[in-house]
Amino acid sequence: MTPRLKPAALALLFPALVLGWWEWESRQSAGHAYAFAPLEQIGRSFVDMLSDGTLLFQAGASLQRALTALLIGGSIGIAIGVATGLSRLLDRTATPLITTLRQVPILGWLPLVALWFGNGDGAKLLLVSLSAFYPTVLNTQKGMQAIETRYAEVGRLYGFTRWQALRLIAWPSALPLIFTGISQALAFSWIATIGVELLFSATAGLGTEMMAAQVAARTDVVLVCVACVGVMGFALNQLFGLLRARLLRWQPPIRN
Amino acid sequence: MSDPRILRDPALRPTSTGTGAVRISGLSKHYAIGGKAMTVLDGIDLAIRPGEFVSIVGPSGCGKSTLLRLIVGLDTDYDGEIRLDDARVAGTGLERGLVFQDHRLFPWMTVAKNVEVALLNQKLPRERRDRLIAEHLALVGLADFGDAYPYQLSGGMAQRAAIARALVNEPKVLALDEPLGALDALTRVKVQAELQRIWMEAGTTMIMVTHDVDEALFLGDRVVVMSSRPGRIARIVDVDLPHPRDRASPLLHRLKDEILAELTREPREDDGTLVSFPPRIRN
Amino acid sequence: MPADNPGRSRSSPLSAYRTTLLRIAPIVTILIAWELAALSGLWPRQVLVPLEQVGATLLALASSGELERHVSASLYRLTCGFLTGSTIGVATGVAMALSRNVHRLLWPSFTCVRQVPVIAFIPLLILFFDVEDSFKIVIVAIASFFPSALATHDAVRDIPASHREVARLYRLPLASFLRRVILPATVPQVLTGLRLGLTRGWLSLVAAELLAADSGLGQMMEMGRQLFQIDVVLCGVIVTGLIGFLLDGSVVRLERRLSRWRTA
Repeated sequence: MTPRLKPAALALLFPALVLGWWEWESRQSAGHAYAFAPLEQIGRSFVDMLSDGTLLFQAGASLQRALTALLIGGSIGIAIGVATGLSRLLDRTATPLITTLRQVPILGWLPLVALWFGNGDGAKLLLVSLSAFYPTVLNTQKGMQAIETRYAEVGRLYGFTRWQALRLIAWPSALPLIFTGISQALAFSWIATIGVELLFSATAGLGTEMMAAQVAARTDVVLVCVACVGVMGFALNQLFGLLRARLLRWQPPIRN
Repeated sequence: MSDPRILRDPALRPTSTGTGAVRISGLSKHYAIGGKAMTVLDGIDLAIRPGEFVSIVGPSGCGKSTLLRLIVGLDTDYDGEIRLDDARVAGTGLERGLVFQDHRLFPWMTVAKNVEVALLNQKLPRERRDRLIAEHLALVGLADFGDAYPYQLSGGMAQRAAIARALVNEPKVLALDEPLGALDALTRVKVQAELQRIWMEAGTTMIMVTHDVDEALFLGDRVVVMSSRPGRIARIVDVDLPHPRDRASPLLHRLKDEILAELTREPREDDGTLVSFPPRIRN
Repeated sequence: MPADNPGRSRSSPLSAYRTTLLRIAPIVTILIAWELAALSGLWPRQVLVPLEQVGATLLALASSGELERHVSASLYRLTCGFLTGSTIGVATGVAMALSRNVHRLLWPSFTCVRQVPVIAFIPLLILFFDVEDSFKIVIVAIASFFPSALATHDAVRDIPASHREVARLYRLPLASFLRRVILPATVPQVLTGLRLGLTRGWLSLVAAELLAADSGLGQMMEMGRQLFQIDVVLCGVIVTGLIGFLLDGSVVRLERRLSRWRTA
C-alpha cells in the first residue's frame, strides 16, 4: 500500500533530490566545484546580478530584441499569409519558396548572414525576425484558406461586398490560427534571440552574458541566466495566453 | 412574450403589403456527378400566396433543400423560372431570407451583432437599426441575450437567433431549410409553437423544408409532398385549419396518415435512403 | 513538400504541368537573379558567389570525402542523441500518464525545465562535458526528450475511458490491451512528438556545432565563415536544409502509414 502522499510534497521531492545531489557533488573536490557551483554561490550570484542591475539590463536587451523581431517578422508574416491565403496564384508561387527556405534551421543561416551583413544588431534582428515569420505566415495562410462555405453563404445571402466578407468572415474565422501562429512565433523568436546572442558576439543580452560566463567558467552565472531565460519565456507565453483569451472571448472556454 | 392568439385564416389574412407571392414554373435542376448528368428537380410548378406558410416534405435526395437554395438565389444554375411578385429571381437578395439547418451564426459575434449582419447593406439610421434588432430579438424571445456569444446559447436559442437574423430585414419570403432538424424532440415542439407565433406576427411568406410530417402539418397552410429521383411534386395537401392549431386535431392525424401513405407508397430499390418517419405519437 | 489543397486543384495533365511550373518559377527566378548579380561584378565574387562555383565546391567537397565526413559526424550525433532522448522521453511520458504518483513527482519539474529553450543549455553543457562529442549528443537528447515525453503523456492520458471499459468488458489480457488499444490509439500523437523532437534536435545540433566542434556540418559552415568562403557556407546551408527536409519527410510518411486507420 502506498501511503497517501501530498501532491505538493511529491512535487518538491524531485527538485530537492536534484539540489541535494548537486550540493553533494560540489563538496567532493575543488575540481567538482568548478562545474558544480555550490548552491550558496549560485544564490549569491543571483542577488549580486540583481542588485547591480546586470540581470535586468541583459534581460531587457534580450526582451527588446525578441519583441522587435516578433513585431517585424510577425507583421510581414501575417500580411503575406493573408495575401497567399486569398490568392491562389500567390499561394502557388510563394508557398513553395517559403517551405523550401524553411528547411534550413534558423541558426544555420548564421554564418551566411554574418558574412553578408556583418554581426551587428541588424543581422541578429534579421535572423530572429525570420524565426517569427515562418509560423505566422503558415498559420495565417491556413486560417485564411479554411474559411467555411457555411459562413461564406451567409455573407452572400446578405449581399456582403468582398471587403465585408474579408473583414467580417475571413479575418475573424482565421484569427484563432493567426493567434496560434503568433504564440509560436513568440516562442521561436525568444529561442532564436538567445541563439544569436550565444553565437554572435553581441553587445548585450542574456545569451551574451551566458557565453562570457561560460568562457570564465562561472557555472553559477550561467545557471542564473538559464533560469532567467526559462522564467521569461514562460511569462511571455502566459501573458500572451491571457491576451489571446481576452481577444478570442467568443470561443467556448477550452476544457482543463 | 405575448402570444397574440389572433385567429388567422390564410384566406382571410390581410396580406399586410400584398407582396411575397412566389411563382415557380417548369423548374428543373441538373447536377453533373462524375461526368453523368443527374436530374435533381424535374418540372416543379408551385404558386405560393403572399403570407402563406408552405411546408415541403419528401424523402432524402428529393431536392427539397436544392429548391430552397434556388429560391433564395444561392444557386442560379437551373432551367425554368422562379418569380417573386413578378420579378425574376437572379442571385441573392434581401427580399428573400433563408434559415439554415445549422444556425450559422458567426461564432465571433454576439447575438445582436449577428442579427445586425443582415442589416449591414441597408442604409438605415443607427437608432432605427438598433430598434429593429431589439424588436426582432424580442420577437424570438431573446431580448436579454443580445450580448451573448453563440456558444453560450442552447440549440433552440441559437436557431431562434438565426430566425431573428433572417427576419430583421423584413424579407417578403423566408425559406427555412429543416430549421428545427438539429433540435431534440421536446425543444422542437416548443420552437414549432414559437415559429407559428412569429409567422403570425410577422406575416412573412414562409417556405419550410422538413423531415417531420407532424411539423409540416402543424405549421403549413399547405404541405407539398415530393418524390425523389428525380425530385417531383407528388401531391399538395391543403390543411384547412385556422392558426394557432391544436396538435390533437383529428384532421391533422388523418392528413398525416395520408401523407405517410403517399411517401411510402412505391417501394424503391434504394429503400435505405427513404427517410423513416418516426412513428412517434405526440399529444 | 507543400501539400496542395486536393479539393481545389483540378488534375488534368496540363494544369498539373502548369502548377509545377508555377511552383518552381520563383525559385528559378531567384537563382537567375543571383547568377546575373554575381556576373555583373557589382559585388565582389567573395560576397556573391556565382552558382557554378557553389556547384563546383559542392562536388569537390563531396568527391574529396570531406562532406561525407561532416555529414556522418552530424548524423551520428543526431542518431545517438535522438534515440537516447526520445526513448527516455516516451518512457517518462508513459510513466507520468499512467501513475498518479510519478505524475506528481515529475510533472512540476518537467513543466519548469521545459520552459527553457534547449540552446540555452549549451554553455552549461560545455562546462560539464567540454566540447567533445558527448556534449552534442546530450544537447540533441535534451532537445528530443521534451517533445516526445509531452506528446506521449498527452496521448496516453487522452485515451478515452470507453476504450478501457470495452477492453475490460471483453476481458482483454494486458498484452493485447497494450497492443490493440494503447498502441494504435497513441501512435499518431507520439509520432508527432517524435517528429518535433527530431526537428528540434537537428536545430540544436547545428547550433552546437557552429559554436564548438571539430567536425560536422555546423563546424564546416563556421570554418567557411571564418575563412570567408561563402561557397562552402552555402553548401552547408543547402545540405543542412536537405537533411532536415529528408528527416522530416520520412517521419511524415511514417506518420501517414501508421495513422491510416484514422481516416479509413
